Amino acid sequence: MPVWLRDYSWRQTGSAVYLSLPLRGVRVTAANIFCTDQYLKVSVPPFLFEAILYAPIDDTNSTAKIGNGIIFFTLHKKEVAMWDSLTLANADREKLQYLRENAVLKAHEKAKEETEAKKVTKQEHKKYALEATMKLEEADRKRIENLKEKERQKVTKELELWKKQQKDAEKQKRVQKEGELYQEVEQSKEKKKEKMIKTRIPNEGTSKTGLKPTKGHGSYSMFSENLKEEQLPAPRSAATIKINFTSRVFPTALRESRIAEEEEWLRKQAEARRTISADLSELEDLKEEEKNPDWLKDKGNKMFATGNYLAAVNAYNLAVRLNNKLPLLYLNRAACHLKLRNLHKAIEDSSKALELLTPPVPDNENARVKAYVRRGTAFCQLELYTEGLQDYEAALKIDPKNETVEKDAEKIRHLIQGTTQDS
Amino acid sequence: MSSAGLERPQLVAHVQQALNYTLFDCKWVPRSARLLCLGSAARGTGILQLYELQGGRLALLREIEKAKPLKCGTFGATSLQQRYLATGDFGGNLNVWNLEAPEIPVYSVKGHKEIINSIDGVGGLGIGEGAPEIVTGSRDGTVKVWDPRQKDTPVANMEPVQGESKRDCWTVAFGNAYNQEERVVCAGYDNGDIKLFDLKTMSLRWETNIKNGVCSVEFDRKDVNMNKLVATSLEGKFHVFDMRTQHPTKGFASVSEKAQKSTIWQVRHLPQNRDVFMTSGGAGSLHLWKYEYPAQRSKKDSEGAEMGVAGSVSLLQNVTLSTQPISSLDWSPDKKGLCVCGAFDQTVRVLIVTKLNKV
Repeated sequence: MPVWLRDYSWRQTGSAVYLSLPLRGVRVTAANIFCTDQYLKVSVPPFLFEAILYAPIDDTNSTAKIGNGIIFFTLHKKEVAMWDSLTLANADREKLQYLRENAVLKAHEKAKEETEAKKVTKQEHKKYALEATMKLEEADRKRIENLKEKERQKVTKELELWKKQQKDAEKQKRVQKEGELYQEVEQSKEKKKEKMIKTRIPNEGTSKTGLKPTKGHGSYSMFSENLKEEQLPAPRSAATIKINFTSRVFPTALRESRIAEEEEWLRKQAEARRTISADLSELEDLKEEEKNPDWLKDKGNKMFATGNYLAAVNAYNLAVRLNNKLPLLYLNRAACHLKLRNLHKAIEDSSKALELLTPPVPDNENARVKAYVRRGTAFCQLELYTEGLQDYEAALKIDPKNETVEKDAEKIRHLIQGTTQDS
Repeated sequence: MSSAGLERPQLVAHVQQALNYTLFDCKWVPRSARLLCLGSAARGTGILQLYELQGGRLALLREIEKAKPLKCGTFGATSLQQRYLATGDFGGNLNVWNLEAPEIPVYSVKGHKEIINSIDGVGGLGIGEGAPEIVTGSRDGTVKVWDPRQKDTPVANMEPVQGESKRDCWTVAFGNAYNQEERVVCAGYDNGDIKLFDLKTMSLRWETNIKNGVCSVEFDRKDVNMNKLVATSLEGKFHVFDMRTQHPTKGFASVSEKAQKSTIWQVRHLPQNRDVFMTSGGAGSLHLWKYEYPAQRSKKDSEGAEMGVAGSVSLLQNVTLSTQPISSLDWSPDKKGLCVCGAFDQTVRVLIVTKLNKV
């Protein structure tokens, strides 16, 4: 239960009420005071002071001065009148309640209105600022447009002038041409006469001077064209030049090439050729060429071709010890293992080869097809038909035109379907 | 934009004309304010239109329709009086037309098996010396030089060796025609090859590969000792080769610039200033460049052979006119700064480039 504060003192003038409320021993802040136009409340737990004012006041202009254990209110009356008392005397409980609630509502509304008003002013300020910047930019743009426009007009005028000049020049040329043509016709008549009368040599001379072509002015007469033909060299004797085009390592246009991958593949190849394993202690008694993985690979291939599969495997094993980054070694060894029916080893080797054959580029297509086919075969011989089919399909994806692979894939599919039917 | 920016050459769009066909090439008619547009109509026939600049617009003077769509044309090999137009079309035919009487061509030959991608002419218009010749480059991989006085057979044929897979020739250009005997043809191919053929010795003089398909090559002047060659390619790069000094192994020195993110379709040098050129791009933009020569154009390498030194290229101005590629570009030889460009949005635009005197 709050402690009601009843010992307050007040005095009034015509327009204001001065209320002083002692509050000893507690600190009061602005938050503890609640005031609307007819209701005043000060709540500092555990103390509570409440007053329903005699007449409405202007609560926005009224003030409260807090300090020294006392609150001093200056309440400005809405109507200038003298109050009989500070509070409404005959206030029963319900009225009190009603007034309180009203007061709270009113306060809320006021708060809302204030925030609204604030928002509106803020918006207006923003708008104003925006408009101001827009105007400035507009002015700038206009200035530039004007400059450009002036340029355009100037340039258009020059163009028209030039056109006029052209037209005049053309007219002149036409007149000139006609004049010359007339001249030529006259001279040709004269020439004919001269051919008949051979003695008129000096006149020929003059007619020839009349025929001198005017160079580079574009006004060619009929006769000068004939002369020009004589001056022009004869048409070139026909000849053919054979050309070659630049070959590309990968024949795709630069924009289509997956150049990063291709470079990586080339780099890997180069590195693979260079790596030599460090474990050479046992190999010191080998001949020089036997330490070369490529030579060993060739040896292995030859032995595979003659059917000596164990020897081929030995050769490949040694080569792998020397350089375990060459995918072809694993590929060929897988083929040997297949022939020897070491199926698990064949699968291992094909898988290793495929690992080394990344990134997948057109250059290592063939190798990858072979690897898939060999692994597929090994799976099938182990009766793991589904895995085998997967590998065959992968091979087909790389090289869809390979018929043997197609046929084998078909066979496997039939087999699988056969076994599922049985079981 | 400061006023210093306005001191640079400006590309002012003067006139724009919408067309109802696909425009492949546009050319100024020499000694006039007329321009020619070549293209392909929707129904698959070739269209040739002649416009004149009148006031602020283009007035259509003539429209001629031909059987096959026209890809490229040039006035380079005719005299100034005749002004015959040589065109290459989609069917591989080379025709030379008299625009006053365009029903029958003055010269016609089925030069190639496939579309003629590019055509150039030299020896006409009072520029250069020697016989007028036309060169055509085609998708069938061959480059052929024709003389309008010789029917049916080309005077030079640059074709791939038997059994070689052919690459499309995308562009051709004449150069080095400074006297009656000397002449050189430069051809660019879709695999990035640039080959220089010497017609006097009928041999391949130089070749190189710039890794990306070559869209356009042009010498800065056809009628002088070869000075500079600009080659543009896909993926926004172009190379400027200094052609004065050929090193026996390294060829010609070059500087390259990556200008636009898209293909550079055309390069054209300003007829009045051979160090200024404009490139047109696949994003509908035009860039104006200036080449600056180095302090010394050639130097000796370690073995004492002469080697060229390439200079530098600086961008003077650029503008974006369209959203579609600008596929053709031509400067007017008569008025400095006047140029026409045709884009794939079926519009032909006439531009004026200002302040070229101060460049």
